[in-house]
Amino acid sequence: MPPLPFRAVRVFVLALALVLDSGCRAPAPPAGITVLLEAPPDSLDDRFALTAHGQRLAQLISPGLLTFDDASRPVPQLAESFRDVSATVVEFVLRPGLTFHDGSALTAEDVKATFDALMDPKLGSPKRERYEPVDRVEVVDARTVRFHLKRPYAPLLAELSAAILPSERVGPGGIEAQGAHPVGAGPFRFESWPDEEHLTMVPFEGWHGGKPAVSRLTFRVVRDETTRVLELLKGRADLVVNNVSPAVLPALRQASHLRVVTKPGTGFTYLGLNLREGPLADVRVRQALCHLIDVRPLVEHKLHGLAEPASSMLPREHWAFTATPGCGYAPEEAARLLDAAGYPDPDGPGGKPRLSFTFKTSTDRFRRAVALVLKEQLAKGGVAVEVRALEFGTFFEDVRRGRFELFTLKWAAVMEPDLLRGAFHSANIPGPENHWGGFNRGALKDPALDRLLDAATQASREERRVLYAEAQRELDADLPVIPLWHEASVAVVSSRLADFEPSAHGLLLPLAKAREVTPEQGSTP
Amino acid sequence: MSRRLVSALIAMVGALLLVSLFLHLVPGDPVDVMLGEQATQVDRAALRQAVGLDLPWYAQLWTFARDLATGELRTSLPPFQRKVLPALGAALPYTLLLTLAAMAVSLVLALPLGVMAAARRGTPVDAAAMGVSVAGVALPRFWLGPVLIILFALKLDWLPVSGAESWRHLVLPAFTLGTALAAFLARMTRATMLEALREDYVTVARAKGLSPRVVLWKHAFRNALLPLVTVLGLEFGALLGGAIVTEKVFAWPGMGTLLLTAIEKRDYNTVRATVLLFTFCYVLVNTLTDMAYAWVDPRVRRRS
Repeated sequence: MPPLPFRAVRVFVLALALVLDSGCRAPAPPAGITVLLEAPPDSLDDRFALTAHGQRLAQLISPGLLTFDDASRPVPQLAESFRDVSATVVEFVLRPGLTFHDGSALTAEDVKATFDALMDPKLGSPKRERYEPVDRVEVVDARTVRFHLKRPYAPLLAELSAAILPSERVGPGGIEAQGAHPVGAGPFRFESWPDEEHLTMVPFEGWHGGKPAVSRLTFRVVRDETTRVLELLKGRADLVVNNVSPAVLPALRQASHLRVVTKPGTGFTYLGLNLREGPLADVRVRQALCHLIDVRPLVEHKLHGLAEPASSMLPREHWAFTATPGCGYAPEEAARLLDAAGYPDPDGPGGKPRLSFTFKTSTDRFRRAVALVLKEQLAKGGVAVEVRALEFGTFFEDVRRGRFELFTLKWAAVMEPDLLRGAFHSANIPGPENHWGGFNRGALKDPALDRLLDAATQASREERRVLYAEAQRELDADLPVIPLWHEASVAVVSSRLADFEPSAHGLLLPLAKAREVTPEQGSTP
Repeated sequence: MSRRLVSALIAMVGALLLVSLFLHLVPGDPVDVMLGEQATQVDRAALRQAVGLDLPWYAQLWTFARDLATGELRTSLPPFQRKVLPALGAALPYTLLLTLAAMAVSLVLALPLGVMAAARRGTPVDAAAMGVSVAGVALPRFWLGPVLIILFALKLDWLPVSGAESWRHLVLPAFTLGTALAAFLARMTRATMLEALREDYVTVARAKGLSPRVVLWKHAFRNALLPLVTVLGLEFGALLGGAIVTEKVFAWPGMGTLLLTAIEKRDYNTVRATVLLFTFCYVLVNTLTDMAYAWVDPRVRRRS
């Protein structure tokens, strides 16, 4: 354990300094930009990173052929362009003159090697299965590479954003090196990762978009939200993305050296319904619940306006979004529907309920508060709800196994519309055959919807837009879940970081286009 | 001495068993947490086997004990199964520094406060001292920490908010962690001092015409120390527990931080090893407390 004595010595020196040093001023902030994270990345190797933090940090070092814009459209990143050669062949042309951080050139061979390794069980990437539709990767010339598919499969593009690594590092033998000192062709070069709490990167002069105008990036893990806010207020941190709750933003807005920048986001919160049995199997009851819920006060007061009421799983800005009639707040209509469904009000408004449900939620304070508001709203329409807050593990297991009537959950980022197939196709109802891993947790069975969603996986982009529009209308009628809202993407930025434009998906890549500035003397907090 | 060692060993094995058991009772499949929801059945099974989660719990425990003994223990998470011991070795000094500093803070605050309150029993000084100590016990650390930060780091700009880069970073966490103990110790000091002050030898000392200060510190306080040492030893455990919260608030890179991260990731090996180290610290301090008796109380020394 060589680090131990060194640390111990340092700690003793610190203790000694406590006695000797009598100065009181805090040291000057370090050069460069400090970004606070809620948790350390699980891995900086994109092929193994499963947490959002890990993936976003990995993208800075090793981006992929393409990335996604705020409308979730795939856009070229390392690729200059891409096109469908046929229904089963996608061709990518790389940007000219791409190099890795180690100076070697990034060619089509590296792209092929990266994906070949990723699809090889020997590497052991948890993302391997996602590439099952790929038959082979072909190098056409140094800058051109083609993906041959086993069958038409449009959602594959979403998976081709995987990090491109130097070919000598892609195999199982390179895991150690890539884990300890990751290399890629991204805007930032890995510098050091001394402990779980700190990570530094420096700008890469060879980045195709030009060397980022930031002298150094330091990522610091601060788990406590209050402490993150206080570090921002103190002026010792320059950026926090999506890691502060809406309630504290007013305090941050008041600080003259901080900016709060927001953008409509893609995180989707919904009320899940169990369609397997009971009153909720009746679409009229589901519609009645939807008519009784008014999302606006929740968005205004609980989320401080940092969300958009949702009508679909896809956010309004999404390329495949289509406006649907939606149910809207209409208590009279709800009463009419419940009467028609055979749940008349036993004793007029107030008094005994028409019907009652249990509503499961996690113990998270915000989720519980939301559940209580919904309970109040439903009670006004004669629907009694018992809220049960459970530890997340238990709660989630119950949801997966279909042991619920109502619940709320959130999809972290809705990007590829094929997620609709995961969430609502009858083949994805959780069960032993998919290890209770299916996402259609309410067990919707709609053959017409199934056909639309299946067809959309094989269609061209324009056809997909039409098919997904049709699917969203179908879902609006079926109402397997009640859409609540899409959370905004929020970044708190210090005056030392200019031009940081948050991404709808909460990515850190906009750091490549931001500028580090020295605030004029005297204006420092 | 050997009896002490055996009971320490039993305590540690018991803690290990309990932690392993609780880890298995916690709902949520560790493989799900590690792989995320999108993973396939094949990947899950492969990971389960790679990490040894397919084995029964006692077999997992045995592997853990063997790897720990040989120093080969690695984090449960693929693909980079880092060794656990260096991470623990790096975190331990930080936690020890924090708890010892907190203890020093609490002693410096509590002893004068408690002795003063006892010496002036029933006066406003007594009431004020005890009032402060009740407040100290009642303040939760996750509240006190941020309040101290706002006051000393933001308003006064004397100290940094969080981190562990210099001695300044230690001040606020040590105070946050030490306050509750200080409050408790002050009450204990007052109580034991009052008891000692009622003893015959104090009356004798006073009758001899010794100055009140000598009676107070040399006669009463020396005798009141013994129960205090016991409490201090016992409270060390509470301090270690409190260190977890304090470390989170101040982003202090100690064992509490390590433990929280490991729990989030369902990294069983690190959780087990960290808890074991916590237990070890606790047992060690209790043993040291026993030994300190001999130093404080000559009667114990003579008996053994």
